[in-house]
Amino acid sequence: MTNNRNHKILNILNAFVVYIVLILTSILILYPLVYVVGSAFSSASSLQGIGTNPFPEEPTFAQFRRLFTTTNYLTWYKNTLQIAAMVCLSTVVITSFAAYVFSRFNFAMRKQLMISFLVFQIFPSFIGMVAIYVLLLRLGGLDTKWGLALVYIAGNIPYNTWLVKGYIDNIPKSFDEAARIDGASHFQAFTKVILPISRPIITFLIITSFLGPWMDFIIPRMVLRSDKQFTLALGLFQLIDGKAANNYTVFAAGALLIAVPFVIMFLIGQKSLMAVLGSAGVKE
Amino acid sequence: MDVRLRQKALISGVLFIGLGHILFLKQQVKGALYFLVGLITFYFVAIENTGSGFRLNFNGFIVQKIRGFITLGVFNPNLPVRERDHSIFMMVDGLLCVLIIVLFLIVYVISIRDILKIVRHYEVSGGELADNRSFLKHVLNRAFPSIGLSPVIILLLFFVVLPIIFSFCIAFTNYSYPNNIPPANKVDWVFFQNFRDLFGGAQAMWTSALWRVLTWTLIWAILSTACVYLTGMFMAISLSHRNIKIASFFRSIFILPYAVPAVLSMMVWANLLNGTFGPINAMLMQSGLISQNIPWLTDIGFARFSMVVVTTWCGFPYHMLMVTSIMTSISPDLYEAASIDGASKRQQTFKITIPLVLSQTVPLIIMAFTFNINNFGAAYFLFMGAGSTRGPSAADTVSTNANGIDIVVTWIYKLTMQNPQKFQYASVLAVLLFAVLTPFAIWNYTRTKSYKESGL
Repeated sequence: MTNNRNHKILNILNAFVVYIVLILTSILILYPLVYVVGSAFSSASSLQGIGTNPFPEEPTFAQFRRLFTTTNYLTWYKNTLQIAAMVCLSTVVITSFAAYVFSRFNFAMRKQLMISFLVFQIFPSFIGMVAIYVLLLRLGGLDTKWGLALVYIAGNIPYNTWLVKGYIDNIPKSFDEAARIDGASHFQAFTKVILPISRPIITFLIITSFLGPWMDFIIPRMVLRSDKQFTLALGLFQLIDGKAANNYTVFAAGALLIAVPFVIMFLIGQKSLMAVLGSAGVKE
Repeated sequence: MDVRLRQKALISGVLFIGLGHILFLKQQVKGALYFLVGLITFYFVAIENTGSGFRLNFNGFIVQKIRGFITLGVFNPNLPVRERDHSIFMMVDGLLCVLIIVLFLIVYVISIRDILKIVRHYEVSGGELADNRSFLKHVLNRAFPSIGLSPVIILLLFFVVLPIIFSFCIAFTNYSYPNNIPPANKVDWVFFQNFRDLFGGAQAMWTSALWRVLTWTLIWAILSTACVYLTGMFMAISLSHRNIKIASFFRSIFILPYAVPAVLSMMVWANLLNGTFGPINAMLMQSGLISQNIPWLTDIGFARFSMVVVTTWCGFPYHMLMVTSIMTSISPDLYEAASIDGASKRQQTFKITIPLVLSQTVPLIIMAFTFNINNFGAAYFLFMGAGSTRGPSAADTVSTNANGIDIVVTWIYKLTMQNPQKFQYASVLAVLLFAVLTPFAIWNYTRTKSYKESGL
């Protein structure tokens, strides 16, 4: 009897400790986020002007106004959108097509190609920066959006081809064979049968390849020269690098305008993201 | 007859690509295509356009470019800087030409293998040669994979393969500030000198910087992976067996850091942890816990600590979600059986949940480990406000560009982008990274389902 009661007390104590930990963690997670939101609406311009209280006493849009009038923020946003759209579209078309070929056809060097994709995929793309720079110089792609997009598209290929191929491998071959027997061409079998079934992985591809260029810093740093061509990551970095004392709240406003669509997109795509990441990372 | 056909086709096909197909195998269309490829390659290899006329002297465009790759140009101080040989451009051009030659050789080998295949078919079928029509049909069938793969192959060759080979080549040159930056100066091949400099102690300062960066990269990768994974697992377990509403409330708070781009989070934390103006220090001061600002980002010990903590903040949600999804797939029968046998909740957690989750997430841990070795953001953006050296400097930072928190990738970046530039050492580090990471990638791959099924 006493044993049972002790057990109950222990359980309640245990739950109490767990809740304390959960609440503390929540505060730790939320504080930086709330702090940025507060800073974006603050009237002070610098870090020390805000202090420790994240909630501004008189919220204003002054920082957003400063962001739009004194910097090229809107241009950066537009540039990034354009690059992301180019990368997203090309990546989806090119890699899903290639993945289908790898999954369904047998040809010379197939094995060697797949294994080399695997090795390329672990190599951070900025390792070959200097060569990419010379190549783009030769192609006239320096300081242009398409030049940057080209580098991203090429960098996206190895990993994503593997990912999509893995997914298509799991679709029974009888599906597209049936379509072929009914007179469909390879291309039709791919677009009418395989693509619709692969929707989860294609959604994943769209989300990840669209989001990639938003916060990448190294490659645009090398390819883009003029402020008018900057992407958001470059612009924001330049805004705050070493100048936190003057520009912190403008930066916060700019960061907020990126983070909000990100969080929304994440919440929308969360299910397919998790499903794909789960199946890609976790295998028996 | 059979033997002679094989010999004739083979000899002519080896002599010049496509010849065997045209002359002996009745495959004029395919042969002509091969022949054209051969002709174009031959022109660029063997014929020099001297401006006044064409000469067959095996000193064509491709040969000249490849020679340029070997010599890397001639240093000519009398020319204006702009007109001097640019070693790096010569190297890239030369590599491009080598790639083209390799592609040609592949086509050449394929054509010879094709001859053997046709002859074998001829022998088996008793004297019948497939003609052009069957080749055209074959092309239409084969066109689909070629169309699908060609953009991938071309993009990868130029923007992934060539840069990787190039950066490996740089490791064997002296491409560096101040004496070997083209076009003012030329770059030379120095073979293993850079490896001796870095590993052999020929440059003591660089060797000590290298060991500091390597040890910290290793410790960092292990520590951050462990923190990220264990925190994620702890949160997942804490949230399981709770009231569903409460659990999903906390879970939706906890995934917020995963939804915000990591670069932004790092930049925000860089401000929060700012040693002089940051709110974290201000808060600790107000509450009386400290009487002096803590140098979160500028003291080597604190800086490394901050780096791990902030990375945990950014990274644990992903692992929490992963562990949660594995836990829901564990059969409830296991827990039922355990509780019938008298196991407590705690015992069930430690004897069922944790071992099962651990065994299923090994690839995930490996992935996180390689990700953290390459985690540029944590070692760069977090420290952007931390003085001119971006982080706690070490004794050699001014000359080696490596500070106390630099990991291999950020060091590579700084050696390439910041003065004094040392491209050659950056490339040695890239080779090193490549050698270390490739086995992990391949090992992880051999555990995946697609490998086990196809045996590829």
